[in-house]
Amino acid sequence: MAAQRIRFIAVSARERFSRLARLGAIGVLTRMTAVLLPSATVVSADDHWAFRPLGTVSVPAVSGAGPIDNPIDGFILTKLAERGLTISPPVEPRALLRRAAFDLTGLPPTPEEIAAFEADASATAWSETLDRLLASPHFGERWGRHWLDQAGYVDVLGGDNDAGTIKFGENKWLYRDYVVASFNADKPFDRFLTEQLAGDELVDWRSAADFTPSMRELLIATGFLRVSADDTDEHELNTLDIRYGVLHRTTEIVVTNLLGLTIGCAKCHDHKFEPITQRDYYRFEALLQPALNPHQWLQPRDRQLAALPPAAKADAERTNAELDQQIAAAKAQIESVKQACAERLRESRFASLPEPIRADTKAALAAGVEKRTEVQRYLAEKFQALAKISPEEVAAGLNAEEKDKIGGYERQIAEQNGRKRTWPHWQVVYDVGPPTPTCLLRRGNHLAPGSEVAPGFPHVLCAGNSGDLERDANGNGSAGATSGRRLALAHWLTAPGSPAASLVARVWVNRVWQHLFGRGIVETSDNFGLTGSPPTHPELLDWLATRLIADGWQLKPLVKQIMLSSTYRQMSVERQPDAPRIDPDNRLLWRQRLRRLESETIRDAILAASGRLDRSVGGPPVPLVPQPDGSFTIKPEQAADRFRKTIYLLMRRNYHPTLLAVFDQPVLTTNCTRRDSSAVVLQSLTMLNDDFVVEESAALAARVSANAGASWDERIDMAFRLTLGRRPADDETAWCRETVERDAALVRAARPEMPVEQASLEALSRLCQTLVNSSEFLYLR
Amino acid sequence: MRATVPLPYSPPNLSRRELLQASGLGLGTLVLDYLLARNEARAADGGPAFRGTPRARSVIMLVQNGGPSQMDLFDPKPELTRQSGKTMTVETFQKGNSDKLMASPLEFRRYGECGMEISSLLPNLGSVADDLCLVRSMFSEHNNHTEGLVLLNTGKIFPGRPALGSWVSYALGTENDSLPAYIVLRDPEGYNTSGTLLWQNGWLPAEYRGTEVATQGAPVLNLSPRQPVAAELRRGQLDVLARLNERHRLDYPHESELEARIRNYELAARMQLAAGALLDLSTETAETQRLYGLDRPETAGYGLRCLMARRLVESGVRFIQVFPPVKPQSQPWDAHSNVKTENEAICGKCDQPSAALIKDLKRRGLLEDTLVIWSGEFGRLPVSQNGSGRDHNRNAFSLLLAGGGARGGYVHGATDEVGYQAAIDRVSVHDLHATVLHLLGLDHRGLTYYHHGSDESLTDARVTRASIVKDLLA
Repeated sequence: MAAQRIRFIAVSARERFSRLARLGAIGVLTRMTAVLLPSATVVSADDHWAFRPLGTVSVPAVSGAGPIDNPIDGFILTKLAERGLTISPPVEPRALLRRAAFDLTGLPPTPEEIAAFEADASATAWSETLDRLLASPHFGERWGRHWLDQAGYVDVLGGDNDAGTIKFGENKWLYRDYVVASFNADKPFDRFLTEQLAGDELVDWRSAADFTPSMRELLIATGFLRVSADDTDEHELNTLDIRYGVLHRTTEIVVTNLLGLTIGCAKCHDHKFEPITQRDYYRFEALLQPALNPHQWLQPRDRQLAALPPAAKADAERTNAELDQQIAAAKAQIESVKQACAERLRESRFASLPEPIRADTKAALAAGVEKRTEVQRYLAEKFQALAKISPEEVAAGLNAEEKDKIGGYERQIAEQNGRKRTWPHWQVVYDVGPPTPTCLLRRGNHLAPGSEVAPGFPHVLCAGNSGDLERDANGNGSAGATSGRRLALAHWLTAPGSPAASLVARVWVNRVWQHLFGRGIVETSDNFGLTGSPPTHPELLDWLATRLIADGWQLKPLVKQIMLSSTYRQMSVERQPDAPRIDPDNRLLWRQRLRRLESETIRDAILAASGRLDRSVGGPPVPLVPQPDGSFTIKPEQAADRFRKTIYLLMRRNYHPTLLAVFDQPVLTTNCTRRDSSAVVLQSLTMLNDDFVVEESAALAARVSANAGASWDERIDMAFRLTLGRRPADDETAWCRETVERDAALVRAARPEMPVEQASLEALSRLCQTLVNSSEFLYLR
Repeated sequence: MRATVPLPYSPPNLSRRELLQASGLGLGTLVLDYLLARNEARAADGGPAFRGTPRARSVIMLVQNGGPSQMDLFDPKPELTRQSGKTMTVETFQKGNSDKLMASPLEFRRYGECGMEISSLLPNLGSVADDLCLVRSMFSEHNNHTEGLVLLNTGKIFPGRPALGSWVSYALGTENDSLPAYIVLRDPEGYNTSGTLLWQNGWLPAEYRGTEVATQGAPVLNLSPRQPVAAELRRGQLDVLARLNERHRLDYPHESELEARIRNYELAARMQLAAGALLDLSTETAETQRLYGLDRPETAGYGLRCLMARRLVESGVRFIQVFPPVKPQSQPWDAHSNVKTENEAICGKCDQPSAALIKDLKRRGLLEDTLVIWSGEFGRLPVSQNGSGRDHNRNAFSLLLAGGGARGGYVHGATDEVGYQAAIDRVSVHDLHATVLHLLGLDHRGLTYYHHGSDESLTDARVTRASIVKDLLA
């Protein structure tokens, strides 16, 4: 069976070759050869580089390259040397610091930090700078944001189809803060995964008397599995197919995120190009099914977990029920006092009726409408107003004693209402009941269940074992009434030396590399399968993965090691004349890649330049209100939060603030393992005309005016340092001076009443906007 | 050929200069953005994505979301009238359905020389019946609006894939270098159901996302600043910017993205002029404005969008999506409570402008190569809901095509006797997509994009068995 599959792959690769050949696309072919050959030469799926366990990798020695103190450079230089290339010289310190600060904190360095770094000639300056940046609380925001992308996190629960409908998940953002805190604490990645997949199975929270902070953290971590769009809160959509959709999407997100495999195809049939069977798909899904069981479905409102343990919650609910009873009784007492008062008022009114009809009228009004005699109907109709006493009349008619009584009950009610317990909710997962059988679904159709499958792991990563999960619950240290399947998954994904853990480590270090170099060693960072692109530096990838595990799965040492390398520190400017011809796409890293800032970083960098950035960490998302024109505003009552970092603005799936949307903020229908970096015209229009950019440019101009000297040159100098992190060249100063002088004069000519200083400010504000529009601002040199 | 080479990853970083050199070497139009790639250049090159002679050069898709009621508007069912009140079991979606068949409370009339039978609520569309290709045997896959709309626009019920308009602009580019190839005209009051999901580029490059153009206020968000900037000031600003960007670019002669960014500022300036001119209706005669119903409040909004669509086609825009009014509800054809009054209201808003567009295109000689699609996401049930309304029905709906090589005066397919299910000559949404691409001279199997390890296509014909519906072709 495996042999057949592999043959199929080989044929398909050949077909692709011949199709390309027919097109005569020789240039493209050359570039694709590297991609195609590995799958064409695979003999057995088990032999695929990504599925092998990590072995020992020796660091290559590079002859004639001088001493290499960072193994990473050894790997890179070896490959470059084979093509007659080498790495480029180091980038100038100010650009290096700017690059590193954005990479580690998502924020630019201040002009003072740049000056200090440029002045520090010590050998340890770079290493110490990295330590400082790695220790910044913004490190967790920056790398947490990367993780939230690949996990597919948004602040909303549903598919977010309609601009005006925001299904906000109560406290869902606690997961975002958990991620940020985990990265700041450099939580080992194996532990991080275990908490997110199975935090609820690590502790017996169901029988806890109280949720300890660590228990709370473990439960909130499972928000990781609450990222799929779930619209089953709508009655019509709480159907089996939609529920299965949530489970399928969750499975697929977890697999692309952690294993870098695209398994969606295997939902309906054995994967055509990858060694993933349909059985693999459903076995894997069975690991999650006890938590997201379509046959024991919980709508989002019911799935969210009360932030207090079940026993305490039952207690609290009992207390509340008792209080409700007492409150109801007190209300009844108040009512009866009022009734008595109303009765007294009624009696006194009846007293005004002529005596002969008094008794008859009372009887008529007391009689049922249906049973009244004709006379009674007449009387009732004529005098019904008499019997009606309005609440206001009652209030006015209460005597002192009655008022006292009511006051007493009301105080009691208020006191009892105050004693009622309320509690927040968390968006988490937990097994909703004992597992039910999982069946393979023919053609992915839940109405056509096939044979039952046991929970287990993709066979290709099981090194010849069955991959069946041997037993549920308690065999693996899971705590409480839970199947333990997700904990078993976490163990399987992180067991040292296993093919699965090797793949997990490779996928993760590859993403780390991608974030620091703009492209992974495996370019298809979401696809490590046979159809993905092969690693440009397979030994380096394995070395990094081995290193990660050896470092106790900690991220910061790995990042530091990479950033210490000459490979990272080299300039991005093209300085090797032959290199573009030999390696046009710079796959071998003969220069650092020119990288554009991501959407959030652009907004944050503008705020950092204007000096208005609110650097506070964590908390509920800042709500955004959609406007009919497609823009978003922040509610006036939240105006104080409008300068918060972008990670704290409400994160939706489909509707992003314009500035973010045009700069490729992903539409998170599932997850995103690699951001696009497009250059579309709406970016230019937004940077020129968007209110935010215009306002922040004005704020930046005001900052510059307040802090720089009065001369244009001094102001231009500061504006450059705050935006581009460097001083302007003399000719640049001249261009800018000429423009601002002319602009200020034009402004004054149009509005002679304007004070000179204000006209200058306007001209300066336009210059500041020009600087944030520049490519240099948007790219890491 | 960009559209046919199954690139394993994003296009290589080639500069404009390199591309021009490469094209001399037979790489053809492996071009990075549609501004460089004109239709002529691509079509001349041929290749698997291009097959046959294109009948249409552009597409206007009049999205009629909510689920227009086929048995009340397009698909007369005498048998439903006869059996009204009888019991029938159907697949329902919402609560409030009875199991009793309900005759249409609306009348049908014969229109045109072809004698096409459609509702008397649609006299204007009736007046162009001889240009209409009415498909009565459409069916969808899901009973929820979002899934249905996402299917109609992207070919699958789950979001995340490129819209039809993205595929078309990816394959054919634009003929106007001042405007985006794919434009969305929605109600300035807000988004229809599923909003922006319906013009996403999915995993196609971002330039193929639909661009929203508003018919009032600023035509494109951020086309101009809230506080006007004097032209001289803006010129000075762009001048310095161009100098800084050019200096930066010189360090990176092979980064095409930097060139694109520089060009985008030029394009932005052109777009300001072009988009501004689009809103200037002074060149339209009073008669034309009346034709679209701009003189009446109920038709003015959607009418203006239809008129804009014609102007955009004239300007060489490739694909235009037009949306109906969002008030009083964002899915205006969703007649759950009263098919008579609800359809009277929405037909009163949409009938005249839709028909005006077809008439106007025709008299200007544009209909010939402009394909107009009028369609909702699904149909409605033959049983009653909430008294005199109807619930969603994925099993049957009707749609209209006009111009662009579609067969006028023709009725295709049929539903069962009560209009519950498409029965004869059934047409899937995938078949529709295959047919639309065919009319544009594109092969739905050949138009692919390499993503996640496979050649993705709009119709995914291997799974959906999509095929061209030849009967719909003129």
